[in-house]
Amino acid sequence: MKASRNGSSLGQRRKDFKFLLPLASIRLTLTLLSLSMILIFIATLEQVRIGIRGALAEYFESFYGIWYYPEKFWGGEFLHNIPLPIPGGYLLGGLLIINLTSAFIVRFQWTMKKVGIQLVHLGIILLLVGQLVTQAIQEESRMQINKGEESNYIERFHGVELALREVSDPNKEKVVTIPQEILENEGSLIDQSLPFTIKVHHFGVNCDFDIIPPGKPKSNIAKMVNRGVGHSANLNIIDKDEDFSSEGMNFGYLVFELFDQDKSIGNWMTIAHPAGNQVWSQLSPKLSDMSFQSIRHKGKLWGVTLRQKREYLPFSIELLDIENEYYQGTEIPFNFESDINLHLEDNQTRRALVYMNTPLRHGGMTFYQYQMNDAANYSVFQVINNPSWLVPYIACILVSIGMLWQFSFHLVKFLRKNSKSPANA
Amino acid sequence: MFTNLLKKKFPSLLCAFLFFSCSEEPSIQTYFIPPEYDGAIVTWNLPDTWGENPDLTGPMAGSFHVKTKSGQQGRIGVMPFRETVSTIDVANMFGREMGYPSFTEENLASILQEKKIGNRTFEWLHLNSQNDSGSSSRRTALLALLRQEGDTWLFPFIADQKLVMQESDNFIRFLDSCTLRPEKNKPILAKSPPLPSKPKTQTAPPPINNPWTWTIPDSWTKGNPSSMRIASFKVEDQNEGELDISVTSFPGNVGGLLANVNRWIGQIDLPPVNQSSINQYCNERTLAGNAGHLVEAYGKEKAVLAGILFLESESWFFKLIGDRQLAEKEKTHFIDFIDSVVLKAEAKKK
Repeated sequence: MKASRNGSSLGQRRKDFKFLLPLASIRLTLTLLSLSMILIFIATLEQVRIGIRGALAEYFESFYGIWYYPEKFWGGEFLHNIPLPIPGGYLLGGLLIINLTSAFIVRFQWTMKKVGIQLVHLGIILLLVGQLVTQAIQEESRMQINKGEESNYIERFHGVELALREVSDPNKEKVVTIPQEILENEGSLIDQSLPFTIKVHHFGVNCDFDIIPPGKPKSNIAKMVNRGVGHSANLNIIDKDEDFSSEGMNFGYLVFELFDQDKSIGNWMTIAHPAGNQVWSQLSPKLSDMSFQSIRHKGKLWGVTLRQKREYLPFSIELLDIENEYYQGTEIPFNFESDINLHLEDNQTRRALVYMNTPLRHGGMTFYQYQMNDAANYSVFQVINNPSWLVPYIACILVSIGMLWQFSFHLVKFLRKNSKSPANA
Repeated sequence: MFTNLLKKKFPSLLCAFLFFSCSEEPSIQTYFIPPEYDGAIVTWNLPDTWGENPDLTGPMAGSFHVKTKSGQQGRIGVMPFRETVSTIDVANMFGREMGYPSFTEENLASILQEKKIGNRTFEWLHLNSQNDSGSSSRRTALLALLRQEGDTWLFPFIADQKLVMQESDNFIRFLDSCTLRPEKNKPILAKSPPLPSKPKTQTAPPPINNPWTWTIPDSWTKGNPSSMRIASFKVEDQNEGELDISVTSFPGNVGGLLANVNRWIGQIDLPPVNQSSINQYCNERTLAGNAGHLVEAYGKEKAVLAGILFLESESWFFKLIGDRQLAEKEKTHFIDFIDSVVLKAEAKKK
């Protein structure tokens, strides 16, 4: 009677969600899984050419990627020039979620007997959705602190922003930031927080830069600069493709013009140092103002800089001490640890020790010990902000429970069946 | 019941999922933070009849002129003094230019005034040129000295007496508009850490000291720094051709000769070679008194030249890569460069 009710329930669902039947096909599942394997294979090959970040962006964080058959492979000389569209991670992941969800609705029997299978699939759906959410919202940043000082902001590893700071008020600084996505569109920018209009002439994610002797020819980008460090240091820059390799350092650059209403104030150049703009002063005294190119306007002092995208936190971290340990007789790191004070929003202070594989978790962020320099007395934390970090754990627990249930169910059934059958002597 | 609920909610659930999948729209953000900037802050409002001199000289924080029908005239400046400076020193500094004998406290007191502008009090000093007292274009130095806690600011206005008189109201308005804050005392610890190439990281191998010295051809310029490179140079020509020259070192043999040659010729779009055909790109060559290799490979557009030295515990790579035509031109220089490599200790002996 129960089975019949469940059966009719599945029948009813199939009737109600008829449009989901083709999407719930097992053939579609197998096709998507096969395509996923191809995608992983191709992305792994491409990783050698364009690096991990490049392969991730081209093939996994997109709906499709374009692949060219390697020239060195058999027949490569003929096939190399043919662009092959490959379904991307978003497309396959999205379709797999739809496929599994549809199967859940129109193919699975919602009975105790099958609850294990349902849990396993639910876990997989959760894993896929979790990955998608992580992809969309996870952010990786760095926090660098000198010993004895404290910091209350983190800077993204990738992505820059134009920051304009008005520093005339002794009690507070006004900061206006323009993200990379807007700078990439170029054109004129007007904001009520700014007393001037910004016209973006050139923006690039990477460049070669050099201080050149006067009179030496400059690139067209550098030629137009007539104010600020770019002008005073006679800086030449040449646009360069983004370096996706793990060791790649990308120097984002921006050439912009400021207007006071319709009157041009001048053209500036600013470059973002991937290790933080505080590094400029050590590269050359001529470049030290790159972290704050001053612009006086209507009795106010503004500082302009292109920097790694920054986020201020409601708490700060003070670096009390650092310690490096190496394997005896070698320079191979054994342990790096940072002794810190976490200054919380409510004037409370928490002491903590951050070392390799033992991060600090606070405010939804995880601070991992990333780099350290005992000679210069500073420590760098890698900061991960991933609100969905628990999802993969929950998904794995669901899959495990599902499998355990399913095996246990069959085991009990088998044992019962065995105990009922007459023993053969 | 659940089926009905699902049926009703499925489209809205799908829409919600797609909505939340979309990332946030980038926008211009404005926020306030406690003061971070620790440099000097000097700002002003310039009168309409004044212009800014673009090139600052000496200790000037600001330099201006008056725009007149006959062109730019007069000099107005903003000069910060970190330490307390005496009024007599300032008066003598400008007085000598105006033909005054050295001031004493007594004779200075007779011409020194105090002037309150806004909520600040300035020491006010008029010095008229003693050399051209009868002239209509008599030079005048109007000096305004502001003493703040720990710092002193001097505003000299030097011009013809007539112009100084004419612009005195503008000068007062200018002084009133000034924001003056000295550079904050920096802590003894460097605010900025050293370059990222220097620190020891968890993954990077320890830096290898450079035992070599070499002679760099005149046509090469310094290249971009990198944590992986011991030295970096570049060559550019007028046809936008570029060569990147690097000196790198790694522990061990980093895969050996064949692997490195194949990696490099791959970079200039040439097919890989095997052990038996490696000689088409590679010859033995003595480098710095050791048995080394010279790699020479030319692709359609790019070329690579390299000197390789496999030592007992480390490998050294002297590599040139870039535009083929320029590489062919620079080949002699490159060979001279790798031939010039010697141990620093040996170079000293010579």
